[in-house]
Amino acid sequence: MRKSWWKILTVILLIYTFTVGLLIKIPDLPALEQTARNLFYHVGMWAAMMTLFTVSVVNSIRYLRTLDLKYDIYAREYATVGLVFGILGYATGAIWMSYTWADPNNPLFESFSAVAREPKLIGTAVAMLIYFAYMVLRNSISDMDKRARISAVYNIFAYAMLFPTIWIVPRLLPSLHPGQDGNPALNFKDVSPEMRMVEYPAFIAWALLGVWITTVKIRLSILKERKLAQ
Amino acid sequence: MSSIHHIITLFKKDVLLEIRQQYSFYGILLYIGATVLVLQTAISEPETKVWNGLFWVIQLFICINAVAKSFLQESKGRMLYFYSIASPTDFVLAKLLFNSLLMLVMSVISVALFILFLGNPVEKVWSFIGLVLLGGWSLSLVFTFLAAIAAKAQQNAAIMAVLGFPLIIPQLLLLMRLSNAAFNPILTIPVNTILLLMALDIMVILLAVILFPFLWKD
Amino acid sequence: MKKLKHLIAIAALLITNLSVDAQGPKESSVDQLMRSNGRIYVVVAVMVTILLGLIIYLVRIDRKIGKLEKLNR
Repeated sequence: MRKSWWKILTVILLIYTFTVGLLIKIPDLPALEQTARNLFYHVGMWAAMMTLFTVSVVNSIRYLRTLDLKYDIYAREYATVGLVFGILGYATGAIWMSYTWADPNNPLFESFSAVAREPKLIGTAVAMLIYFAYMVLRNSISDMDKRARISAVYNIFAYAMLFPTIWIVPRLLPSLHPGQDGNPALNFKDVSPEMRMVEYPAFIAWALLGVWITTVKIRLSILKERKLAQ
Repeated sequence: MSSIHHIITLFKKDVLLEIRQQYSFYGILLYIGATVLVLQTAISEPETKVWNGLFWVIQLFICINAVAKSFLQESKGRMLYFYSIASPTDFVLAKLLFNSLLMLVMSVISVALFILFLGNPVEKVWSFIGLVLLGGWSLSLVFTFLAAIAAKAQQNAAIMAVLGFPLIIPQLLLLMRLSNAAFNPILTIPVNTILLLMALDIMVILLAVILFPFLWKD
Repeated sequence: MKKLKHLIAIAALLITNLSVDAQGPKESSVDQLMRSNGRIYVVVAVMVTILLGLIIYLVRIDRKIGKLEKLNR
C-alpha cells in the first residue's frame, strides 16, 4: 500500500479528468465549440509522451553513469510506451482536426498539407521520428552492452537536440511568417482559468498512467531477461 | 597545451590522408557536379523557393556523403592505436574540426555551382554565403557525431541518415527561412535566429565532447 | 518492433477511415452526427480512440505475460 499511493492518485485524477472535464463550462469559441474539451484528452497524450521520453533520457543517463543494464531496459520501455502515446496523440489529433480545421467543403487530403505545416506538429513529428530511429538503432546492434551504450548516447544526443526544437521553433516561426498564426485551435494561451483547473490534473493523470503502464512492462522484461539468463 | 597539440596533430593527419588519397574529395566534388547538372537539365531556371529548397536538401546529402566516411574509414586496429595515444575529447574535436573545414569548402563549391548553372536568384549574395557557411558548419557538426554512432554500431551510411534526418529537420527549417530573407530585398535577416543556430552548434560540440568518451570505449 | 508495426497499422486504419468520412458527400450521416450538439461527439470519438488504443496495448502486454507463464510452467 505504501508504494502504490501514486497509482491511486492516477485513478482519482483520471476519474476527475473524465467527469469534471466533461461537465465544466467552457468558453464557446467559434470553430471549436465543445471540442475544446479535447484539450484534456488529445493534448494530454502529448503531455504523457513528452514525460515518458524525458524519463527515458534520464534512465539513459543513469545507464551511462552506472553501466547497469537494468537502466537500459527502463530507457527502452519508457521510449516504447512514449511512442504508443504519440501514436494515440496522432490518431486523436486526426479526428479533432478533420471536424474543426478541415473545411467541410474541402476534402481532408487537400487541407492536410496546410495543417501539417503547423510548428507544433513539426515538433511532435520530429520527436516521434527520433524515437523510431532509436528503435531502429537498437535493433541493428546485436551485442547487448554495446547496444545499451550506443543507444543511450543517441537517446541523450537526440533529446538534447529535440528540446530546443519543441520550445523555440514554434515561437520563432510565426514571427518569421506574420499573418499565418491565426489558428484558434493551437493558441492555448487563451485557455480560461476554469479549463486550467482540469488541464493540469489531466496532464498529470495521463503522464502517471503512462508511467504505470511502463512499470508493468519493465517488470515483465526483467522477468523475461532472468528467464533467458537461467 | 598538450591537448591542443594533440588535436592539431590528429587534424593534420586527417588533412594529409585527404590529400594523399584524393578519391574521396573528388568523389564528393563529382557528386555535387553531377547533381547540379541533373537539376539543370530537369529544371533550367527554378524559381527562388524551389532553388532554396533544392539547395538545402542537396547540401544535406553532400554533408552525409562527405562526413560519413570520417569514422568508418578508421579500422579497428587504428582506433586502438588512437586510443593509446590520444584522449577521446581530442580525437572527436579533431574530427569535428576537420569535417567542418571539409564541409565549408564543399558548401562554397556547391553554392558557386548552383549560381553558375541554375541562375542567381540571390539578392544579398554575401549574407547568403555567410548563411551557407553557417549551415554547412551546423550540418557537419551534427553528422560527424552521428557518423561516430553509426561507425560504432558497425552500420553503413544508411543508418546515419535514419538517425540524422529527424534531428536536422529543425535546423534545416531555420536555415531555409533565413535564406528566404536573403532572396528578398525587403526582408531583413533576423539576428535572433542566427544566434539560435550558433547556440545549437555550440551545444552540439559540447554534447559531442561529453558523450563521445562513452562511444569510444570498447 | 512488431508491436509498433501493429499499432501503426491500426492508427493508419483509423486515419483512413476518417478521411473516407470526410471525403464522402458533404452531409453524410456521420458528418451530421459529429457536427451536432456543439460537436461534442468529436470529444467522444477522441476518448473512445484513446480507450481503444490503451486496451489494444493492454491486450498485447497480457499476451506477452501469457507466453512467459507458459515458459515458466
